[in-house]
Amino acid sequence: MLTIQNLTKHYKGSHKGITNLTLEIEAGDIYGFIGHNGAGKTTTIKCIAGIHGFDEGEIWIDGLSVKTDPFACKQRLAYIPDNPDLYEYMTGIQYLNFIADIFRVSAAEREARIQKYADAFDITASLGDLISSYSHGMKQKLAIISALVHKPKLLILDEPFVGLDPKASVALKEIMHQICEDGGAIFFSTHVLDVAEKLCNKVAIIKDGKLIASGDMDKMVTEGTTLESIFMEVVRDDKTD
Amino acid sequence: MIRQIKILTKAQLCNFLNINIFRYTKDKKKKRNVVSVGTGWLMLIAMLCFYVGAFSYGYHKIGMGQVIPMYLIMISGILILFFGIFKAGSVIFQQNFYEILCSLPVSQTAIVISRFLSMYLGNVILSLAVMLPGIAVYGCFYHPGIGFYIVGILGTLFIPLLPMTVATLFGALITGISARMKHKSLVATTLSLLLVIGIMVFSQMLPGVEKTITEEMLANFSEVLSNMIAKIYPPALWLGNAMTEGNILQGILYFGVSIVVFAVMVVLVAGHFHSICQSLFSTSAKHNYRMKAMKTDTALMALYRKEVKRYFASTIYTVNTIIGPIMMVLLAMGILITGVDKIESALPLQGGITGLVPFVLAATACIMTTTATSVSMEGKQWWILQSLPVEPKTVFDSKILLNLTIIAPFYVVAEGLIIVALKPALPDLLWLLLLPIVFILFACVFGITVNLHLPVLQWDNEVTIVKQSASAMIGGLGGCLVIILCAVPVVFVTGLAEEIVKLVIAVIIIGITIVLYKKNAKMDLAKIE
Repeated sequence: MLTIQNLTKHYKGSHKGITNLTLEIEAGDIYGFIGHNGAGKTTTIKCIAGIHGFDEGEIWIDGLSVKTDPFACKQRLAYIPDNPDLYEYMTGIQYLNFIADIFRVSAAEREARIQKYADAFDITASLGDLISSYSHGMKQKLAIISALVHKPKLLILDEPFVGLDPKASVALKEIMHQICEDGGAIFFSTHVLDVAEKLCNKVAIIKDGKLIASGDMDKMVTEGTTLESIFMEVVRDDKTD
Repeated sequence: MIRQIKILTKAQLCNFLNINIFRYTKDKKKKRNVVSVGTGWLMLIAMLCFYVGAFSYGYHKIGMGQVIPMYLIMISGILILFFGIFKAGSVIFQQNFYEILCSLPVSQTAIVISRFLSMYLGNVILSLAVMLPGIAVYGCFYHPGIGFYIVGILGTLFIPLLPMTVATLFGALITGISARMKHKSLVATTLSLLLVIGIMVFSQMLPGVEKTITEEMLANFSEVLSNMIAKIYPPALWLGNAMTEGNILQGILYFGVSIVVFAVMVVLVAGHFHSICQSLFSTSAKHNYRMKAMKTDTALMALYRKEVKRYFASTIYTVNTIIGPIMMVLLAMGILITGVDKIESALPLQGGITGLVPFVLAATACIMTTTATSVSMEGKQWWILQSLPVEPKTVFDSKILLNLTIIAPFYVVAEGLIIVALKPALPDLLWLLLLPIVFILFACVFGITVNLHLPVLQWDNEVTIVKQSASAMIGGLGGCLVIILCAVPVVFVTGLAEEIVKLVIAVIIIGITIVLYKKNAKMDLAKIE
């Protein structure tokens, strides 16, 4: 579903970025992407979503190159940033309608999906209000609904649980499972290692822009260990190397 | 409190002038952007100084040197008032950092004064740019004593206080009234526009030169002008007399009034600062939405509707860009009311004014295009368009469409008025209708092009984009300048030659527009950061 091969991206005049990152996310995967602040998680995610260009390497989504066929790639994915900066001058429903228009979702489909997800996130009554009146959590919920309105095959999420109330977190996890059961895939970054451990079937650890560990969750986290202890261990090992 | 004011003003200036970006960014493009904005402003200031110097010299040459100081004081005051009304409200009551500041042990008065000071510094540069060349010219030819220079320079530092106070009070009034309304931006925009148009109309209604001057008066024009200035803006007369005649009483009156009025304004605004900010920043939410049947639209229409909402959500963006089209209509109205014959006798051009009118209309309509800042105005939400499956061409088309939508009704009205006023023959009628369309299309596309090359997506206050960005200066005013340059050859030709010149200009402009449009359409949105 998502192939990242030797991805390299560096910012002008900065040492920050990612170097030679290679990952494979298959249909049905809930893939966790963890690392400390400034490790390169958001940069990687932005490269996949087509927000940043990159210096070297390739990204394929459903067999299509992000470089040469960005339009088709974007049709297949949905991206939610770590900070949901949405159009504050629109109402929630106007924003969702706008996104649905761009993805050419039929009226019946968008109505059904918006109703379903807005109810799941308890936000239906607020959809007629301006986004500027929303709290951070409500904006996050709206961003998630907008990402789901066109039924994407690949969901790219940057810290999706930040700001969500417990009920919404449970709802999002259920939706993530549902997407994977339907043959989709999810790639998301998080600092909450407990969530990653319970939710993901695969995980990748990134440090200073380089991939230092990746694989199946059940193979990485064996009995007597936790994702947290593994993370601390590989990060420490990498430092001593 | 002085320490608080110092810290807050420093932070504000760092933000407004992008000082930290210049000092600390490692991104050469961002650094270049800051340098180009700074250079642009320096060039504008230099041009203003040159213009004022030449103007003052001209006044001296026609024997009116005595009125130079007071005339320039009045001009500075009017300029500061005019530009201040647009931005005073959004600078003084800006939302950014409001909550952080409120949580800190900082007094309201310190916040208000610091915001006022950051505006003051910009305005004092403007008054210095206007006054210093005038003072120099006056000094060269009239050899005044040292008192003239001391009072002049001190007085110049005080020039912004009164007009800024008035602008801030108007801004606060508009902000305060609109804060209580449901559609805050729309109300604020309407009030701001009414105020600006009111000032324009009022200035036209003032006793004009034509009405008041008789032949006797022409012999003593300086006195007539002094009387006019005294009527329009008495503080200019007070400071002017203090400078040129050493009138201490009038000097004290000027400085005293400036300080007292400013102090009263600070006390008033500081007293109501929190309540105005709270009513302004609080948003009403009904929480009663029920799902309804939804309609589908094309991507272009969806983007266009988004642009329209964005446009009318920002008072400063709307007021700054709609003033050109409004002026186009006022200009057409002026020509109709004054009459072509009167204008042509005042402006003895070779082929009359008909040939130039299409250029003048287009240049006025394009004084500040929306497209020139439309990409920057996306700000932190730029990621949305970058991540959506939408072609850059569609995005830019929606932005151009918005600009055309804003100009279109004013164009129709202005053209109607001009046609009635000029009663043009068929070839002139065609140029009158077509040339503005060609130039308006060019200005819209040119605006997008410039903004794509000089985007600023990280900002906290719209004022920095709409008023101070390089793109607003080059993209907004550049299109207007090109139109003015195109009009120059038309002044020197008549008859068939004029038709040919116009045709050549139209073809060249259409060609450039098509090339720019096609280049823009190929832009990669991911590369615009």
